[in-house]
Amino acid sequence: MTATVHNGTLNGVASSSKLQAYLTDDTRFASIDKILDRRGPWTDERFQGGQETKDFLRTQSKILVIGAGGLGCEILQNLALTGFNDIHVIDMDTIDISNLNRQFLFRESDVGKSKALVAAEFIMNRVPGVKVTPHHDKIQDHPISFYEQFNIVVAGLDSISARRWINATLVQMAQDDDEQLKPLIDGGTEGFKGQARVILPTVTSCYECSIDMLTPPTAFPICTIANTPRLPEHCIEWASVLEWPKVHKDKKLDTDDPDHIEWLYREASARAAQFKIEGVTWALTQGVVKNIIPAIASTNAIIAASCCNEALKIATACAPYLNNYMMYVGNESVYTYTFEHEKRPECPVCGGESLTAEAGKVWTLERFIESLTNRQDLQISKPSLSYAKGALFWPSPPDVYEATRPNLEKLLIDLLGEEEGIVVTDPALPVSVNLSINYV
Amino acid sequence: MPSSGPDQDRRPLKITKMDDSIDVTEATTGTTEIPSYRPDAKTRRYDRQLRLWASAGQRSLESARVLLVGCDATGCQALKSLVLPGISQFTILSPDLTTSQDVATNFFLHPDSVGSPIAEQSVKYLKELNPAVEGSAKIEEPASLLVSDPDFFTSFTLILATNVEPSLELQLADLLWEASASVGGPDIPLITIRNSGFIGRVEIQLREHSVVDTHPDTTHTLRLDSPFKLLEEHARSLDLTSMDSMEHSHIPWVVILVRAGILWRDSHEGKLPETSEEKAEFKELLKKEKVKGDEENYEEALAQAYRVWGQSEIPWEIKQLLVDESVKNVSEKSKNLQILLHTLSQYVATPPHLPPTSPSLPDMHSSTASYVHLQNLYKKEYQSDLARFKGLLFQTLEKIGLDEGSIADEEIESFVKNVGGVGIIKGTSLRESKEGKGLIAKSIEEYQYDEYDGSTTCFAMHLALLASERFYIEHKRWPGVKCKEDMSEDNRKVEEILKGILSDKAKNGGIEDVFVESIAEVARGGFGTLPTTAAFLGGVVAQEAIKLVTNQYTPLDNTVIVNLVKSESAKFKF
Repeated sequence: MTATVHNGTLNGVASSSKLQAYLTDDTRFASIDKILDRRGPWTDERFQGGQETKDFLRTQSKILVIGAGGLGCEILQNLALTGFNDIHVIDMDTIDISNLNRQFLFRESDVGKSKALVAAEFIMNRVPGVKVTPHHDKIQDHPISFYEQFNIVVAGLDSISARRWINATLVQMAQDDDEQLKPLIDGGTEGFKGQARVILPTVTSCYECSIDMLTPPTAFPICTIANTPRLPEHCIEWASVLEWPKVHKDKKLDTDDPDHIEWLYREASARAAQFKIEGVTWALTQGVVKNIIPAIASTNAIIAASCCNEALKIATACAPYLNNYMMYVGNESVYTYTFEHEKRPECPVCGGESLTAEAGKVWTLERFIESLTNRQDLQISKPSLSYAKGALFWPSPPDVYEATRPNLEKLLIDLLGEEEGIVVTDPALPVSVNLSINYV
Repeated sequence: MPSSGPDQDRRPLKITKMDDSIDVTEATTGTTEIPSYRPDAKTRRYDRQLRLWASAGQRSLESARVLLVGCDATGCQALKSLVLPGISQFTILSPDLTTSQDVATNFFLHPDSVGSPIAEQSVKYLKELNPAVEGSAKIEEPASLLVSDPDFFTSFTLILATNVEPSLELQLADLLWEASASVGGPDIPLITIRNSGFIGRVEIQLREHSVVDTHPDTTHTLRLDSPFKLLEEHARSLDLTSMDSMEHSHIPWVVILVRAGILWRDSHEGKLPETSEEKAEFKELLKKEKVKGDEENYEEALAQAYRVWGQSEIPWEIKQLLVDESVKNVSEKSKNLQILLHTLSQYVATPPHLPPTSPSLPDMHSSTASYVHLQNLYKKEYQSDLARFKGLLFQTLEKIGLDEGSIADEEIESFVKNVGGVGIIKGTSLRESKEGKGLIAKSIEEYQYDEYDGSTTCFAMHLALLASERFYIEHKRWPGVKCKEDMSEDNRKVEEILKGILSDKAKNGGIEDVFVESIAEVARGGFGTLPTTAAFLGGVVAQEAIKLVTNQYTPLDNTVIVNLVKSESAKFKF
């Protein structure tokens, strides 16, 4: 096997001869070869083993990593060491100092640079012979044809909407063409806990099937924030949600700008003092407005390792892959729970059945929309509703909003008349959802 | 309205006080300059972890010195996740030179490292992760160092041993177990790692470990069943009939329930609802208090009503700790937590026989003024409980010959705020478990394979690893290291050893399929390192190390088997 050296920064001639010796030494993979050369008691029938399996892994397979953050850095490391040789990575973010406690491919001097670029370069330097292609952009910027080139997609994302998008995209691809079934391996962490799962689009339950497992974001009622604050969080929300737009008009709040956080912190502190509420701190202010989730290297290591272990098993069939969900809980001893999450027949992305929505006969459209935004299985916040005759209510663009706003006050049953179906779209929803209304 | 009891005469000035708290004349206004606490670079770097273990945990981490015995991918992955959050220092002990197989599995090596001392090379690449962390390599044979300089080992906070020879593992465990035998001796946790292919195991040996904050879901001590005086007075002082509907719908549910409980007791010979009829009646009375159908505070009160007949008391786990000999009899050599628990048992010996009140209060539907007022009642009670606790603590400290300052205020306060969130773990010696004695003997006796319970497969994996370790001691090599043809021969030998471990369990001279399969999977890996298994175990080890060093969260006690063929794990106490 010949390997290309994608490395311009090695020190001198001496090292490059050592490097050549290393790259031509096929015994270096001895540990991994043990499980690729021989089957285990639980290995699947279709496992070939030997050179063919190794060739596919090391020279033919192509794998996409989404996210070059806490999980992404670990995933890239593991894939490169496991023998995946053609890796792409997408991340639109740049490096922040608060990443350095876990995103171990980055250094202080990298702050401000592209995560995808720095991570790719680091991996290629440390693991010579591996090719990592970085993409400093959004997953949504790439056409379907881009995703078609990969065998496996591994996602280490912190964004729910990005997960929903890639999941829906891969399900759509598999629905359109059996040949385009790309396993999606998804990881996520929070503090000492995390989960890894394997999604075979159209075959197993998909990300959208389990959307109701997410803990809903803590939303404080506006009246509490405005009138009866009790917690420091209420004061911080008051500063960011109500005061910022009032004082700064069209200037958008940038939660990454320390001056903006400073302003919120001062406003929230003043309000807290006024109401004799204790506990507004800079860290809490930043945590509330950025919705910060605690993150540590060790948990990312565990979950990323699990994801890459599944990638190795899928690519080589050397052991059965995860069917289909593993949770890791580390705050109370060590606990894992492995189970099969089942497909949801009415899943808007992979299910065939339509969703029903219950509505009261005296409900206004506004009341109905509120009930939709409270649904755990939809997780939407700014839905646009349409029906056979056109727009029912769209929050944007402004002219449609103005035209449909009066509908909010009207009774749903009057608006719909004989019509039974509504189409819902939302920025968070990767697909449009057909709802049939059931009056109760 | 139910009649009020004799205590009514003591109705104090609480209503006025409550009104006072709405008065904002002395409150700070927006014009006052608020100091900026914009975090420094270090706080920003560690922000995401400080939200878990806070500055107290970070301080412990920053004074921790960690030794890694052996140098492989698993050990270096564990160190990676300890260097990143900022331990003080680490040392890698290994006499070996780097091979190309090492480089291919260990991210903290480079092809240039081949031929150089592996400890030195990995230290170099691990140190890059965090400029605040010191690292050093000790290029020596661990077994001889154990003999020539045992103090070297006992100078660390924590020791990790990664895939070292079984005999060395035991010698190291013996040294540390002995060192901790005397009261006040160093009790250094030892984390040992073993992995082969998809199978991994982590074991922790320590004699005793204190957890000062398990981070329980709730730390509230609401005392609904036995309100403290200030709370009772406040609840009694409410005059529902004179309230407007706005005020009425903003009484915090805690106050609603405390008041309802007091009134019930006044008319039921001092008892709270006991039978299900009484409980239903209690709820009916609550419903009748509502002035409107949809008062959210009353909805909350009804949902929480069960707490009125749930007794305020010390959590069961903590009660168990109080009767432990090390808590009952304290000396100047006792750990702080033991002295604090000793004081707690004295504290609860006097009426009202309840643990100290926590200043924390959950959020609830309420006006700001009522909520803040209620919160202040809890805070005041906490302060007075804290004062009483400190009084008892200082007596104890004096008795055992320590001065008042020997336990920091911060530690006392965090204990009193959250007495339910502490724990003590009593460990066992690694030797006992390796020799098949004690708890593991009982587990073997009770073992029953269940195909739907992955932990029974994990248990079989553990025995397969144990048998492989005995194979190593006998043959000076691991099963499965050689090429394909040797597999069955090695497996058969390990099966024989496992039969011996099972002894009476191995009926008719045979062993169950699950053991045969477990041995086959373990030997398949040939005790080589899969980078993914190494990364997984490294993460597990680092999490446990952080928990041990910070004395926060509950660590593993004491063995976990990770089966990455089936993506599952199980933990055991051996």
